[in-house]
Amino acid sequence: MKNNERIKLFLVDDDAVYLKLLEIDFLQYADFSIETYPTGESCMKNLTHFPDVIILDYHLDGIVKNAMNGLETLRKIKDFNPDIPVIMLSSQDSIEVAINCMHNRAFDYVVKSETAFFRLRKIITTIFHYKKMEKELNWYVDRM
Amino acid sequence: MNNQESQYARSLIEASLDPLVTLNTEGKIMDMNEATARITGKTREALTGSDFFDYFTESQKAREVYQQIFAKGFVKDYPLTIIDGHLTPVLFNGSVYKDDQGNVLGAVIVARDITEQRRIERELIDAKVFAERAAITAEEATAIAELATTIAKEATATAEEAKNKAEYAVKSKQQFLSNMSHEIRTPMNAIIGFTKVVLKTELTAKQKEYLTAIKMSGDALIVLINDILDLAKVDAGKMSFEHTPFKMAASIAAMLHVFEIKILEKNLRFVKEYDARIPEILLGDSVRLHQIILNLVSNAVKFTAKGHITVSVRLLEETPELATIEFSVADTGIGISDSKIDKIFENFQQASSSTARIFGGTGLGLAIVKQLVEHQGGTILVKSKVDVGSTFSFVLTFQKTDIVSELDTEIVELDPQIRNIKVLVVEDMALNQLLMKTLLDDFGFDRDIASNGKIAIEKLQLKSYDIILMDLQMPEMNGFEATEYIRTKLNSKIPIIALTADVTTVDLAKCRAVGMNDYIAKPVDERILYSKIIGLVKKATPPPLHKSIETEMVVITKCTDLNYLLLRTKANPNLMMEMITAYLDQTPTLLQAMRKGYDEKDWEILGATIHKLIPSFSIMGMHANFENMAKKVQEFANNQHQLDDIADMVFQIETVCNQACKELEVEFNNLKNSNHEK
Repeated sequence: MKNNERIKLFLVDDDAVYLKLLEIDFLQYADFSIETYPTGESCMKNLTHFPDVIILDYHLDGIVKNAMNGLETLRKIKDFNPDIPVIMLSSQDSIEVAINCMHNRAFDYVVKSETAFFRLRKIITTIFHYKKMEKELNWYVDRM
Repeated sequence: MNNQESQYARSLIEASLDPLVTLNTEGKIMDMNEATARITGKTREALTGSDFFDYFTESQKAREVYQQIFAKGFVKDYPLTIIDGHLTPVLFNGSVYKDDQGNVLGAVIVARDITEQRRIERELIDAKVFAERAAITAEEATAIAELATTIAKEATATAEEAKNKAEYAVKSKQQFLSNMSHEIRTPMNAIIGFTKVVLKTELTAKQKEYLTAIKMSGDALIVLINDILDLAKVDAGKMSFEHTPFKMAASIAAMLHVFEIKILEKNLRFVKEYDARIPEILLGDSVRLHQIILNLVSNAVKFTAKGHITVSVRLLEETPELATIEFSVADTGIGISDSKIDKIFENFQQASSSTARIFGGTGLGLAIVKQLVEHQGGTILVKSKVDVGSTFSFVLTFQKTDIVSELDTEIVELDPQIRNIKVLVVEDMALNQLLMKTLLDDFGFDRDIASNGKIAIEKLQLKSYDIILMDLQMPEMNGFEATEYIRTKLNSKIPIIALTADVTTVDLAKCRAVGMNDYIAKPVDERILYSKIIGLVKKATPPPLHKSIETEMVVITKCTDLNYLLLRTKANPNLMMEMITAYLDQTPTLLQAMRKGYDEKDWEILGATIHKLIPSFSIMGMHANFENMAKKVQEFANNQHQLDDIADMVFQIETVCNQACKELEVEFNNLKNSNHEK
């Protein structure tokens, strides 16, 4: 990440209302470059836009039958590029869901609640903190 | 030269203290004065004609003097040493003397005795050396002094460093304990709380047994954490005692009440003796007093299998200002042997390690009791006999007061008349939120939950509450900041109770400083919670009546409330319109799918559509009842049970969402128009 480059976020949720709210929250918070997608399929098609972070809803197959669900999408994103951090969103506060997400290499899991946005914000900060540390580590490793 | 003149010259020569010798050209002594004879210790006769050189330690050198005189005609200050009784150092001065024709006849030599000069010189040198040495010594002393200073400085630095280290250690220990306390208490809070909640539901005997075991273990763990924290506070010198008025008799009675059932269960007799002469209200720390008696009585109960436990409180002495009271707890238990009795007040000591296995306990109780008593200027004594029993007694002095006790810590019984109390719970942990909801619902109170201080403030501006329960550690805006804001910016006197897992004195002082009214330690004891809420709400002035009616009216007439959106979009009309559009686009489709799912008994679709609807209720400010209803439908649909109840709920959700759409369309147009006007 270069400092002058905007952070590119993918928000993927089939709940249009929630998606909009999240987009508004992020845009108000910082100058993110945001792309929103209502389905896992549309998100996959646009992975070539190189998102820095993807925020992915767990329930993507709610209304549209045979739609890719959140976990499948997560797996496919990770197959495409395991380095893209994905934060899972769900309205279910369930350990099972959380564990499923983490097993499939999600960076974190957030429950849709009043504090979801703050939590997402914190997680994104953490992601970039880690990335910076990794970069530093690689720099040293290269020179050893 | 006449005779008289030569006589005169001779007498001058003889008078000289310096030896005076005349030599002939061969170096033989021709004549001399008295001083020469005296210094060489020889007679004139012996000297005359003798060899001049024989009288010196270095005759070669003496010969050189002689040769020099004859070669140059004189010699000046030539040093030699005369051999005599005691080797006299001399300086020679001499010159040749000639006859009238200029022929050298001999030499006249004067030897100056320089013994004295030498001595003085030596002394001077000695003095110089001494002075030099002294100077060196002084220098050395300075150096040593400097070294000493450096060492002293280093020592000071080391000491300071050590002090800093020690202070840091104490601080980090405090911090660690504070953190640990929080980290352990928070999950314990949930464990114990939910166990209590589950225990209230219908259970099989086995389930009840297991849950009771969980709860007891949880309680024991909390006691241990509290004990460790207390001792740590004593170590850190942080133990402070209150001086607040309290009713001694009522306070002790309420506390002992706790033990009644336990003592009855063990078939023991509980004897309480209270001296009626004790002043009703005293100044002191009732909580600590409870803690002391509680520890002693629970020990007594623990170690007594049959007989009785006697708690007596006696007035020992009373002055116009002070009352000295003796408290004693006697049991007929296993007793303590003489060899162990000195150790029982030490940390982690029980009379024998086997007692710990049989009776449990941390072994910290008595150590804490001792600290608590002694830090209040009291003394504690124990008398015991194995298999007969033990008596613990302590004496404390309390200040007397006329002030009527303001804080009634007596536990208020559940009062069915007090309802309609509106509580705002500010708590970020979902589990704790749920727990508080459950407890408050049990009390029959209205409650709202805010996940952090910021949200709480937003809620306060929209609705009036009777009391706030405030967690301290929260993201975004913590409990301290929120309280400060409420007190100073909102100018509200609403009672605020801190919910804290961290009971270090530091935090409690901070609670008071920012204007909190009281605190409750987690895990929350529901009776304490109830009595504190009632106590504070009763005291506070009731909120104006018309306001609550107003809010209810709003609820009745409209199902949506855009305040949340206003806040989230910072009242940006375009963003609000975007949000409303998203809702209006999505909701009808979802409602259709929901209806279809229900009609076709496609529970999966029903569950999924309801799931999508859930977040929008709170976003559009619809009553939480509908959200809860939707959650229930989702649960029933997913588990496919209680399907009969779904029909009505699906209908209600449909109705309210359709109404919401209508309302939002109006709002959208209003926004659009006002946007155009600008």
